[in-house]
Amino acid sequence: MNQLNKYLKRTLLLMGGISLLPLAANAKGGSPLMELAFENIFLILAGLVIIAAAATLINMVFNFIELQKLRLNQELGIEKEEVTEAIQIPSWKKIYDKMWNLVPKDKEETIDLGHDYDGIRELDNKLPPWWVGMFYGTIIFAVVYLYIYQWGPNEWSSLQEYNIAMEDAEIQKEKFLANSASVVDENTVVYVDDKDRLLLGEEIFVKSCAACHGVQGQGIVGPNLTDDYWIHGGSIQSIFKTIKYGVPEKGMIAWASQLKPTTMQNVASYIQSLKGTNPPNPKDKEGELYVPEESTPIGSNDAVETEDAKN
Amino acid sequence: MSNLETFKYDDKIVRNFAIATAIWGVVGMLVGLLAAFQLVFPALNFSAETAFGRIRPLHTNAVIFAFVGNGIFMGVYYSLQRLLKARMWSDFLSKFNFWGWQSIILLAAISLPLGFTSSHEYAELEWPIDILIAVVWVAFGLNMFGTIIKRRENHLYVAIWFYIATWVTVTVLHIFNNLVIPVSLTQSIPVFAGVQDALIQWWYGHNAVAFFLTTPYLGLMYYFLPKAANRPVYSYKLSIIHFWGLIFIYIWAGPHHLLYTSLPDWAQSLGTAFSIMLIAPSWGGMLNGLLTLRGAWDRVRQDPILKFMVVAISAYGMATLEGPLLSIKSINAISHYTDWTVAHVHVGTLGWNGMLTFGILYWLIPKLYNTKLYSGKMANWHFWIATLGTLFYTIPLYWAGWTQSLMWKQFEPDGLLTYGNFLETVTVIIPMYALRALGGTIYVLGVFLMVYNLWKTAKTGTIENTEVSFPPLKKVKKQKGEHWHRWIERRPIQMLIVATIVVLIGGLVEIFPMILIDKNVPKITNVQPYTPLELEGRDIYISEGCVGCHSQMVRPFRSETERYGDFSKSGEFVYDRPFLWGSKRTGPDLHRVGAKYSHSWHYSHMEDPTSMSPGSIMPAYPWLFTREINTEYTAAKIRVLQTLNTPYPENYADKAVADLEKQAKEIVAALKSQGIEQENLETKQITALIAYLQRLGTDAKPENITK
Repeated sequence: MNQLNKYLKRTLLLMGGISLLPLAANAKGGSPLMELAFENIFLILAGLVIIAAAATLINMVFNFIELQKLRLNQELGIEKEEVTEAIQIPSWKKIYDKMWNLVPKDKEETIDLGHDYDGIRELDNKLPPWWVGMFYGTIIFAVVYLYIYQWGPNEWSSLQEYNIAMEDAEIQKEKFLANSASVVDENTVVYVDDKDRLLLGEEIFVKSCAACHGVQGQGIVGPNLTDDYWIHGGSIQSIFKTIKYGVPEKGMIAWASQLKPTTMQNVASYIQSLKGTNPPNPKDKEGELYVPEESTPIGSNDAVETEDAKN
Repeated sequence: MSNLETFKYDDKIVRNFAIATAIWGVVGMLVGLLAAFQLVFPALNFSAETAFGRIRPLHTNAVIFAFVGNGIFMGVYYSLQRLLKARMWSDFLSKFNFWGWQSIILLAAISLPLGFTSSHEYAELEWPIDILIAVVWVAFGLNMFGTIIKRRENHLYVAIWFYIATWVTVTVLHIFNNLVIPVSLTQSIPVFAGVQDALIQWWYGHNAVAFFLTTPYLGLMYYFLPKAANRPVYSYKLSIIHFWGLIFIYIWAGPHHLLYTSLPDWAQSLGTAFSIMLIAPSWGGMLNGLLTLRGAWDRVRQDPILKFMVVAISAYGMATLEGPLLSIKSINAISHYTDWTVAHVHVGTLGWNGMLTFGILYWLIPKLYNTKLYSGKMANWHFWIATLGTLFYTIPLYWAGWTQSLMWKQFEPDGLLTYGNFLETVTVIIPMYALRALGGTIYVLGVFLMVYNLWKTAKTGTIENTEVSFPPLKKVKKQKGEHWHRWIERRPIQMLIVATIVVLIGGLVEIFPMILIDKNVPKITNVQPYTPLELEGRDIYISEGCVGCHSQMVRPFRSETERYGDFSKSGEFVYDRPFLWGSKRTGPDLHRVGAKYSHSWHYSHMEDPTSMSPGSIMPAYPWLFTREINTEYTAAKIRVLQTLNTPYPENYADKAVADLEKQAKEIVAALKSQGIEQENLETKQITALIAYLQRLGTDAKPENITK
């Protein structure tokens, strides 16, 4: 049944190979290609593992087919053509056998230790060299790893990693903002009259605001948004500000970390468009009466045109 | 041969443990199934006792300690007697072990749904049950060593080395992770706080996997696999080196559960390094298993028992490679807190523990009952069902883990999180949760098939304690040319001592500096002890099992500080007994949730999470609005905390309840101003919980820190 062992061993070796992948992947080089590789290390690693796992599976399937053939041959009384194989052993096979260093099954009695525990015997096979190599390899890895992380010159402590990531993010953000035409904030925000953008605002409103303010803005836990009375101001700037920073002590969440400025502008505009819709079951008026000033007419939105087009 | 000693093995105790294994297996997995379906259909959280937060620890405890635990005893009691040619030392201890263990399980099944929990993962049971566990475990050890002492076999076989290491390590782990000061019969406060508590818990938690799910089962593999395959063990040398390597290295790896947390970097590095070194010793067991089948592979095709064992060993190999890979920081940054971990664990439990147990049961029951397996075909079907179930369980969860983690980390070019709302990352993986529940269902159906098959088998046979005759032990001295390791195999006590030393080294090196050196936990002056109301709220949080889905550990990643707030510092947890960092984020992290939302938001959210977060799968907690805050032990808690150096003013315990009532009134007043009113709200549990949630992570906000 040497044939069978071979298939098993091949599968195992393949699995062994997978274990070395993270070692290879930990090398960080200087070239852009290496940097790119390092930045996507997880994807690459996952890819390699998946490929290896697939290869193992395919290998197993083929091995099982071979096994089946072998069994059928045996049943039919046909001996395998092992003779031809024995004459010409390919060199990879020799290396492969060396990596296992197994005593063939027919010579098993030469390494029987004579132990007998309730009928269980033990063989004295040598440790497989690949396994020993792997063991030493991981020990060396561990020593090097501990040295580098603890005493070596590196930027890999959790805090350093974090600071680097934050700096990188800041640079990227600045770059992006420098390239984008304008940024909407509570000072520059204006009402948008665009039908599509009001629809986008409505979508967010229903998803994120309706739980407290009602689907129609009539107010539930949160105040009524359809009347003329506002607790934190009814101008587009005030509404934008309330959305952005929230009013934590009263239960209004700050949305700045969840919604883009233009999205908040859409929502604020949608909220302003609800004025006077008189939905059923409105909540009583709260806050102060808000009268729009003449100088900030509803409907002008020059400042956002460019970015709107970009989106 | 007049000097032959005739005696009977105790097979009936083995039968008892086998039945318990099967029954608790079914129960534990059904509870798991409930938990799996609750994530898809939150309506299945019927009551406080059956809510996910309490069901999850019930599931983990049931499958680990009831199913696998009884499996261990079953296998050990059967193999130990035969490997030593001796009946178990004491029938009384055997029975005590059996009934003691079953009563522990029963107490767990009652106390966990009632919310009595220490919140230490896999060590949730409260102190009276912990003491009972210790007593029963010591009884098991005595019985085992008694049997070893009066053995009729000179050398101890490798399976027994594993049993010995298991026994001593579990004893040490259990004691150290349960060092608590009782407050009442159902409540206690751990001796260690914050980071130290976390390190000790994960030193325990990791080695519960190592020395409860792995080493004893390796021992069982070393007995039942060669018996079932009728083949010699592949390599004695490999047994020796992988045994000692495994028990020495395993114990160090605990900190890999705390990568990127507030645990000092040096401890994290040790965790990673030793996890990598663990690959080879772990695989030693797999090789010795699979290569023992050399020359028996033709039989693997036909014999369902061997099939189960081969898949079990392969799953063991996969899980013990994946584990070290997950301990590499760059991978852990992605996997931790996601379902990837859950998938990984289930490759081990469904694959390794489950399949090996099934294989052993199919082999053992016909032997015990002196008959043949009722249906080999059915066992074969079970094999394929179990394999399919495992695949259906794990693959969707891997996918869910990767998806969610990548979504958590995705940024827009303008610096905003793409999925700023945590809930979006949950709803997208619910189909995966549904598939996982399907996989679990398939797996459990297979177990039902097995129970039926084994039941039918038992009915066709009768159980008799096997009678055997052996000569008494004639001690042998050192033989010429024998392997050096034979020396210790003749000396069980020395083996116990050496194994104890070997497993203690790693734990001592990691834990002692953490406890003794102050600089490992830098002080933050603003961090103050919890108020009495917050303390009671925290105990409600613990009792409801919130920690099962919510971490309290913001890691130093841009994606986490952007989402949650400043990353967590070790100095913030010095009054956290127990620590509540958690290990899984089915919901968002809560360490910086304090003052983020209004009282009214929390009130409405706990009453019905979907009212504030439409689509949320969090259960509703209506009972918090009717149950009263229990202030009976508030003063006692303060006193215990004072003995543990929590700086409350002198005699503070006496006015603790008054302070509690005062703070509760303030919260109720605030709620009223936000439009929420309820009768006697100041005495209800929800008020205490809100107090605790609003305090979380607020002491050390950057603007509050004075350095």
